[in-house]
Amino acid sequence: MDKGLLAYLLIPLLSAVIIPFAARRRALLADILANVTLLAGLANIAWLALRPSVIQGGFADIPGDGFSLLLVGAVYLVALCVTFFSAWFMPEGQPNRAAYYSLLLVSVSAMTGVVTSTDFFTLYVFIEVLAVTSFALITTDESAGGIEGALKYFFLTFPASALIIVGVAVMLLSLGSLSFESLRIAMSAEAPAAAVTFSAALILLGFLIKSGVVPFHTWTPDAYQGAYAPVSAHLAGIVTKISGVYAIIKLATLLRFFDGRAQALSEMLMFLGMLSIAVGALAALRQTDFKRMLAFSSISQVGYIVLAAGLGTPLAVMGAVFHLINHATFKTVLFLNSASVEKATGTTDMDKLGGLEHSMPWTSWTSVVALLSTAGVPPLSGFWSKLLIILALWEAGLRGYAVMALLFSIVTLAYFMMMQKKVFFGKKGQAAESSAEVSAPLLAPAVLMCGIIVALGLLFPYFYTYVKVVAERIIL
Amino acid sequence: MLTTAVAVPVFGAFLIPFAARISTAARNTFAVLLGLFTFLAAASLAGTVLGGQTADFLVSFPRGFDFILRADLLSVFMASVSAFVSAIILIYSIDYISHYENQTEYYAMVVLFLGSMMGLVFSANLLWMYVFWEMTGFASWRLVGFFRSDKDVAKANKTILVTVFGALCMLVGIIMVYFDHGTLDLRQLHGATISYAAAAFILVGILSKSATLPFSTWLPDAGVAPSTVTSLLHAAVLVKIGVYAYARIFGVTFAAPDSFSNLVLYIAGASALVSAGAALIDTDIKRIIAYSTVSQIAFIFLGLASGNKTAFAGAMLYILMHSIAKGGLFLCAGIIEQNTHTKDINRMGGLFSSMPVTGVAFALCSLSVMGIPPFGGFFSKFLVFSGAAQNGNLPVMLMFLAGAVMTLLYLVRLFYKIFLGEAAGHGNPKEGSWTMVASVMALALIGLALGALIHYPSAYVDLLTNALGVNLQ
Repeated sequence: MDKGLLAYLLIPLLSAVIIPFAARRRALLADILANVTLLAGLANIAWLALRPSVIQGGFADIPGDGFSLLLVGAVYLVALCVTFFSAWFMPEGQPNRAAYYSLLLVSVSAMTGVVTSTDFFTLYVFIEVLAVTSFALITTDESAGGIEGALKYFFLTFPASALIIVGVAVMLLSLGSLSFESLRIAMSAEAPAAAVTFSAALILLGFLIKSGVVPFHTWTPDAYQGAYAPVSAHLAGIVTKISGVYAIIKLATLLRFFDGRAQALSEMLMFLGMLSIAVGALAALRQTDFKRMLAFSSISQVGYIVLAAGLGTPLAVMGAVFHLINHATFKTVLFLNSASVEKATGTTDMDKLGGLEHSMPWTSWTSVVALLSTAGVPPLSGFWSKLLIILALWEAGLRGYAVMALLFSIVTLAYFMMMQKKVFFGKKGQAAESSAEVSAPLLAPAVLMCGIIVALGLLFPYFYTYVKVVAERIIL
Repeated sequence: MLTTAVAVPVFGAFLIPFAARISTAARNTFAVLLGLFTFLAAASLAGTVLGGQTADFLVSFPRGFDFILRADLLSVFMASVSAFVSAIILIYSIDYISHYENQTEYYAMVVLFLGSMMGLVFSANLLWMYVFWEMTGFASWRLVGFFRSDKDVAKANKTILVTVFGALCMLVGIIMVYFDHGTLDLRQLHGATISYAAAAFILVGILSKSATLPFSTWLPDAGVAPSTVTSLLHAAVLVKIGVYAYARIFGVTFAAPDSFSNLVLYIAGASALVSAGAALIDTDIKRIIAYSTVSQIAFIFLGLASGNKTAFAGAMLYILMHSIAKGGLFLCAGIIEQNTHTKDINRMGGLFSSMPVTGVAFALCSLSVMGIPPFGGFFSKFLVFSGAAQNGNLPVMLMFLAGAVMTLLYLVRLFYKIFLGEAAGHGNPKEGSWTMVASVMALALIGLALGALIHYPSAYVDLLTNALGVNLQ
């Protein structure tokens, strides 16, 4: 464990324990406690990483490898948006309000555990805690869709956990240790033992399933679509990224893809990444449900991260990390907006929606910003991360992948244009007639995230410096 | 002045919704002021660049993605022309747009468009050219989709998808340049060679934005937008971006291979002929003028790709003359469309008696586009042709001569159908409001004045060609 960041794990856990007792008399206390905990954590992280003196020093004072801190920041940010949104989204007197917030906070703890763990067993434990909390969170509103989504999530990610634990066992037998450091040292040998690579491949496969990469993607649309609305933002924005994609990036650096130690694994990862980009984007074109389309879009965007992680060069890892953060911002906005649309109109079926821009201008425009960032339109943040990934691919001589990755942006843009046309522009549908803009607190998270998208795009040099520090520390 | 010319419209655009909170009048005034200010800021740089100086502004970005703005003869010329036409369009919009919904978005997007255009022309880094290129694409998406029926939104989506596809191809070309030369700074790339593949990818981007064959279909479709928007797209900004990028990248920076320039000539020739033919048979007033734009843009490419100084200078003049004249034509079309409630030229006819001022302005602008002396359009067309003759490519010459004759034909047909002949099924509509009529008349008279005072603009473009041109004979 990275002990410097332990507090970020323990404090939400503590809050999670207190909430059911505190909220027994006053349900409102649950909202307040959850939000305050996360806000305090976020403020603390901002202080650590964004002090003027730290920025001027080129982020050299960042504790640990910088990657954990960045991801803990992302976890807190998304979770804060989700809890703040939920506080106003949940109907009064929802029976399991306290349980909902407790579970959210436990999942925040688990994610912090995932990103700060330094050995595979700890990683596995936190991944499982995360899986169980997500499973419970999906069913929050106890609808049939939610239960279906939760079951699919559970059954399809269960084999992944099995693969990971088998991989961990094989690794313990062959390597004699489970720490990340020992794997890194083993891989830097001239000819790493085959059994070690095999165990790492098993673990990698487990995480590929968890992150919903094609061909293991079938559970994600159902889980996201069925999940309780704010929970789908939580899942898509951060949970699957931490429980799957983060581990893939980490493994890519541990397996030293950049110096070609695990050539076959690296090529397989890149191929699956490209496949995800293509399949996710093309499938999203055919969706008629808002949330389902976003889920397929998620698959496609995860493809970019996996593609870059598979390449594994410092520039590619920078691109992957940057895209992971960007994905957290724009996907959270889009899923929260889909939740707002669902609250205002009662449906997410795009054929029934339409013309919402007049009644919901803020939701409409924040969606535009987020979708343009997803499609990589400059000067928003998504453009820079995609550019880094594509430059890295080109630099490594993989021009075919680079051009394909670039041109699939047009498909991304196409399905989002279609979405925007069906939901916000175009003729007023039946559902749009009676709907009004959701209240300001529900918009605040989306607006905040849009601000971050624009700021990350315009302040790219600072963020680049940070991500460069991260890439140098985790690769070397 | 350089940074303000870019920053004021770009950031000002986002303040327009707040100005709209105060009152409609405040918003309109603010938008027009932003337009006028941008024009003045751009034009005020002319003194610097005419003195042989350049103005630079640099923000350092990692990996050689530095944000560089540079004012030189070419960028100040393009910026002033487009900002001037945009400012006129903004003034005209006040009345024209006042009956519709989404006005605040409209003003914000027009000003953002103008700002992105300023950023594009002043950028001296290919990556930042691309950034602003995409921003104009975004603004045009919102502007073409101004009316919100399914058909309009679908055509807006077509516009952005075609242009973004082109832009992504261009980005591939830019990445090739980046890895070939290790930099994207156009100042350092001056005179460098460019590989055929990179040039071809960049060309796809340029052709898609300037609506040249085979990417021309989105431009006539974009005619569903309000006339002010189409005028902005055609005359002042959008399609000129492609021409500007060509001039900037292949005219004054890289030495393009000869066979590449020849390829461009043939594509442009085909584009001129096909679109002129389409303009001859269409019956929708805005589509005809749109096809005419596609055809005229090809003449500019002819000048830029012919590879000698006469033609290049002609092309520069052509950009100026075409912006003024085509802007005027579209704004006239806006008056006609708004007052007759139709876009079908078969249902117009005999409008000259009811809208005399618009008719005169329309005639003057048409004459300039046709290239009749003493209008400005004559000189630019003449220079382009004489330059192309020096290049000595006979098939291309013939294609363009045919194109020029067809220009004459379709514009005469258009004028006849609208203003002369029998009145066909309309109740003698009234003339446009005075700001609208004054705007079109101003553009028409400027077209005439530029012809009379051709000495000054041509001296400027000669200076530009001599100072910046690369690989020109």
